[in-house]
Amino acid sequence: MMIETLIAVALIGALVTFVAPNRIAGKLAFLISLVPAGLSLWMFATFDGRGNALLEGDLAFESRLEWIQLGAYDISWFVGLDGISMPLVVLTTILVTLAIVSSWTPIDDRESQFYGLVLFIEANLIGVFAALDFFVWFIFWEAVLIPMYLLIGIWGGPRRKYAAIKFFVYTNVASLVMFGAVIALVFGLGDAVTSFALPEITAAMLDGGPDGFFGVAGPTLASAVFVATFVGFAVKVPVVPFHTWLPDAHVEAPTPASVLLAGVLLKMGTYALLRFNFTMFPTEIVEPFVVPIAVVAVISVIYGAMLALAQTDLKRIVAYSSVSSMGYVILGLIAYTHFGVGGATFQMVSHGLISGLMFMAVGVIYNATHTRMVTDMSGMADRMPIAVGIFVAGSFGYMGLPLMSGFAAEYFIFFGSFGADFPYAPVFTALAMFGIVVVAGYLLYAMQRAIFGPYSLETDYEVSRAPLHDVAPMFVLLGLIIVLGVAPELIFEMIHDAVDPIVDGGEL
Amino acid sequence: MTVPIEYYVLLSMALFCIGLFGILTRRNALMFLMSVELMLNAANINLIAFAFYHGNLTGQVFALFTMALAAAEVAVGLGIILVLYRNFRDVDVTVPTTMRW
Amino acid sequence: MEGLFDYAPAIALFPLVAFVVALAFGNSLPKKGAIPGILATGGSLLLSIAMLAAVASGEVYHETLYEWAIGDAVSDTGVDGVEFTFGILIDPLSALMLVIVSLIAFLVHVFSLGYMNAEGETGLPRYYAGLGLFTFSMLAFVYADNLLMAFMFFELVGLCSFLLIGFWFRTRSAPSAAKKAFLVTRFGDYFFLIGVVAIAATFGTLQFAGDDSFVAAAETAIADGTTLFGFAPETWVTITGLLVLGGVVGKSAQFPLHTWLPDAMEGPTTVSALIHAATMVAAGVYLVARMFGYYALSPTALAIIAFVGGFTALFAATMGVVKDDIKQVLAYSTISQYGYMMLGLGVGGYVAGVFHLMNHAFFKALLFLGAGSVIVLMHHEQDMWKMGGLKEKAPVTYWTFLAGALALAGIIPFSGFWSKDEILYDALIVGLEEPIILAAYAMGLVAVFFTGFYTFRMVFLTFHGEPRSEAAEDPHPVGWSIKAPLIVLGVLALVAGVANLAPVAKLAQLDITFLESWLDGEFGAIEGLTYGAYGELLAYETSYIGTESTTVLIAAGVSLLLAFSGAGVAWTLYNVPEPVEHKERLGSIGKTVEDNYYQDEYQVWLAEGLTLPLSRAADRFDQTVVDGVVNGVSTASLFGSDRMKRLQTGIVTNYAALLVTGFIALLLVLGILGGWF
Repeated sequence: MMIETLIAVALIGALVTFVAPNRIAGKLAFLISLVPAGLSLWMFATFDGRGNALLEGDLAFESRLEWIQLGAYDISWFVGLDGISMPLVVLTTILVTLAIVSSWTPIDDRESQFYGLVLFIEANLIGVFAALDFFVWFIFWEAVLIPMYLLIGIWGGPRRKYAAIKFFVYTNVASLVMFGAVIALVFGLGDAVTSFALPEITAAMLDGGPDGFFGVAGPTLASAVFVATFVGFAVKVPVVPFHTWLPDAHVEAPTPASVLLAGVLLKMGTYALLRFNFTMFPTEIVEPFVVPIAVVAVISVIYGAMLALAQTDLKRIVAYSSVSSMGYVILGLIAYTHFGVGGATFQMVSHGLISGLMFMAVGVIYNATHTRMVTDMSGMADRMPIAVGIFVAGSFGYMGLPLMSGFAAEYFIFFGSFGADFPYAPVFTALAMFGIVVVAGYLLYAMQRAIFGPYSLETDYEVSRAPLHDVAPMFVLLGLIIVLGVAPELIFEMIHDAVDPIVDGGEL
Repeated sequence: MTVPIEYYVLLSMALFCIGLFGILTRRNALMFLMSVELMLNAANINLIAFAFYHGNLTGQVFALFTMALAAAEVAVGLGIILVLYRNFRDVDVTVPTTMRW
Repeated sequence: MEGLFDYAPAIALFPLVAFVVALAFGNSLPKKGAIPGILATGGSLLLSIAMLAAVASGEVYHETLYEWAIGDAVSDTGVDGVEFTFGILIDPLSALMLVIVSLIAFLVHVFSLGYMNAEGETGLPRYYAGLGLFTFSMLAFVYADNLLMAFMFFELVGLCSFLLIGFWFRTRSAPSAAKKAFLVTRFGDYFFLIGVVAIAATFGTLQFAGDDSFVAAAETAIADGTTLFGFAPETWVTITGLLVLGGVVGKSAQFPLHTWLPDAMEGPTTVSALIHAATMVAAGVYLVARMFGYYALSPTALAIIAFVGGFTALFAATMGVVKDDIKQVLAYSTISQYGYMMLGLGVGGYVAGVFHLMNHAFFKALLFLGAGSVIVLMHHEQDMWKMGGLKEKAPVTYWTFLAGALALAGIIPFSGFWSKDEILYDALIVGLEEPIILAAYAMGLVAVFFTGFYTFRMVFLTFHGEPRSEAAEDPHPVGWSIKAPLIVLGVLALVAGVANLAPVAKLAQLDITFLESWLDGEFGAIEGLTYGAYGELLAYETSYIGTESTTVLIAAGVSLLLAFSGAGVAWTLYNVPEPVEHKERLGSIGKTVEDNYYQDEYQVWLAEGLTLPLSRAADRFDQTVVDGVVNGVSTASLFGSDRMKRLQTGIVTNYAALLVTGFIALLLVLGILGGWF
């Protein structure tokens, strides 16, 4: 019942915050969010799962209740955690808590609704990572969009409506494609499955796959579903060329929404890719797509980084760099090696922390200067040394500085994909690795212009040191980034354990 | 000696077509409402007739529901017509076209 | 002695503690964090000396201390299960380097008291934190027992270099130089990281030493002729070796990635001394020495190292000739000297390379600190043309600086002579067999002349003649904290050559090549990591001009002659009361040299003229084409629905009619399909 408690606390907390007075909403939401955060940390500490959730592993905190009978299929409330989802749940709860604290300064309108929505997102995100029944999972998956749409659309910047609608429609259309594909797959599997439980679908897929559906042959159907789900999730990740909603959404979103968007929402895409495309489908189906996906991954890395180099808006820079970082995840996933897939999962957590930190840092600078344009400011280090110091530290984390989590993730991915079996794996890896040079280029270039040099600011604001509650969440994140960089085994052991069965073809 | 089911169906069809004709040709909202009622009752006749034919009561129960529904519908419909009249001084359904988009 | 090595981690951890203390409490501490730094580096120095003594008594230490990440992966050679670990390897090479690094770090910390604190700089906690973090990273790099750990700390010293070059971040130039330094070395590290990943994926291990090291695995693979990643084993070793070399070239500022080092002089002079001369820049060369066994397997890689080294030595030396800024001269001399070390290692002169690394660390730290002292004396003036006549006013600085200069120029009996001569000798005997090495040797030899010239040009302009500015007439006094490190290093610059008097040993048949015996494991070493073991792997043939003794004499004589003639030319031109510039005599060559052969220009062009416009084009493409398609879909659907909504006339009758028609059409369709008709 632990997962239910997590979700329930967040949901009830969302309702309570919604009706609470604006004045206390922020503090209240923070206190409420401490409960799931603490609880998930306790769950992390007592985690006893083994193996992969979809491949007959032992789940931690499992619970399963019959819910609806739909024709020949059972839909059940089926949740549980394995080594892949556990770190992501912890990431979610921690980031939400920190995002709430970081919104105390910038959010000064309709606070109770804002914090209510943030907690509502939290509940759904936990649901996405914990649900193991396709229907339940899909409900959470879609329900995440609504609060995020509202957060961007109500508290966003000048072009918030455009960005919010683009975000919502784009990702929703992608979900539709994916949903249709999975349903077709389930029907195609015929009698082999009697429920929408993901482990059962996976077992049926690996044990022969679909028979065919509406006159489409089984393998063809499986391949088509693979492509459709890949595209569906690729939008969420996002993978070039489906990435254009991301910079708009990030630029317009308020800082805490950006933190959650980059920190957790993007991970939904990669998490789903890992769960669906790279766990469910047997190697024969995936094989023909590996090289094209590798190409897409490399393009994401390099092209995303190049786009970041051209930007002058700090948030846009970080947004495009997320595109680039997510390219590494894709590369790791298709490598199909322990380190590749494990590193990709590690990168999900690591990038969640680092991009969260970066968006917070940009937000703190924005709170003080009311501009995010690199061209509008210079020498910010002079006025807000601590916030800027963290920005610099976060940037180096982004660049993959050793002893910070980004390096561990990238190293695992590179090592995993260099030795992968697909054709020209070393070449693809080497090309993608060039991202580490470009990322250093654009972040250092941005830092040189905005943070160093003589102090000047185009906007008429007096810049002073950031308040403690703006800086404290960043310190927490920085601490986590360094801890994971020095001791990746803290979560990598767990991830590794859950990833092994995927690579070994279902064997524990 | 019972009336064969075909006659009921024919009756309801005729009633339905009358109602349909009313909707397609009349412009007066009240006539509209009446035509809709006619069509509803055509359905009612069908329901009852088939209930009798099959020998169970489900159709009759449904007919009761439809009647309750029709009553509610008339109430709402008349309300709308009143508002229409108040705004347009007319109950011609082709006049209020501004509410479409 | 066993217990002593348990304290080995503390060598690196002391400065880490100092970093934390300086960062967290620096502002409230007396001397703003200098004291913890001095204590920590002092502690590291003492421990390092203890380690050195332990190694001298025959002990070595090779322990895995921490498992960073473990996982299943099958390497190309079939090794199952890979562990990425942190471990400590203390053998003669690393023990020596530990002492060098911690000694110079300690002296620089002391010097900083006079150079930074006394000058009333702001942001000192940041400065001392940076020094502490640097010392930590560098020491950890030095005794890393595997390539990944080495890479990680290699990158971290790059970060510290960035932070310290950009110490005066309120200027425009310092952040720019810091960015350049990090970016250029990152470019090198990109190749290094590919190399690390490739070696790990190939051999399943990254250990430097022992039977399960990648060096041993590579040897086995070559012996067995195993195909590695589709290549012959020799080719693959060469490829991976050269990839790792990318990092070396970047960090040790070798051509063509040397451009960052002169710019790095934007940092405080103490930082230049510690990082950009004596230690961090040495990391690259040290890495080659550390994995020398691997390079020894690949004659191609070695030849490339030698050639790059020889070329860089000459190339940088010519640029040093025309610089006016005292730190710039030293920066180019640093690049040039590292070229020598690469040359030495590339020709198989492992001892010679390491020997020069050690000597250079001492005399170049001395020269930079001397330059720092000069800068204090000159009220922060760095242009040598505004100096002059400091000889009488600052005797300690002068004499120590002169000792460093003599060592740099390679004048007998100062330390630089012995090591440089040994490198050139090693290059010569190999070069007599291999033309490409002979070319590298020739370049190194010519560079000796230029070195002598620019070194003494610098000495004469700075200290001799008449004062050429008010600051030079009335220098700012310097304190003991500046003088003491200078004296220590001055003595070392004079006597460090005693460690390996190879020519004397060869001529007099004496066993006084201590460093060679040290590195050959006569006191104690890890098997396979000795000079002798490397010698067996090397495929170089050597020959002599006449006998060994005549070759020694010829090599030493020629290089000494060139050094003296360089110094002599400088003497005649600049050791006059009122020296004048002679640059215009060089004509267009001088212009090219002064512009650093346009190396900066093309690299800046690559970044700003090529990459940046390319990224802007990509951005335009993204905004118009990629996003255009997305917006196009939305425009198309909006347009379509705008047309579609005209169906909705607002007249109820029309709706009813549509409904009915639709129904009838549906009936018809179903009827026809269903076969009712």
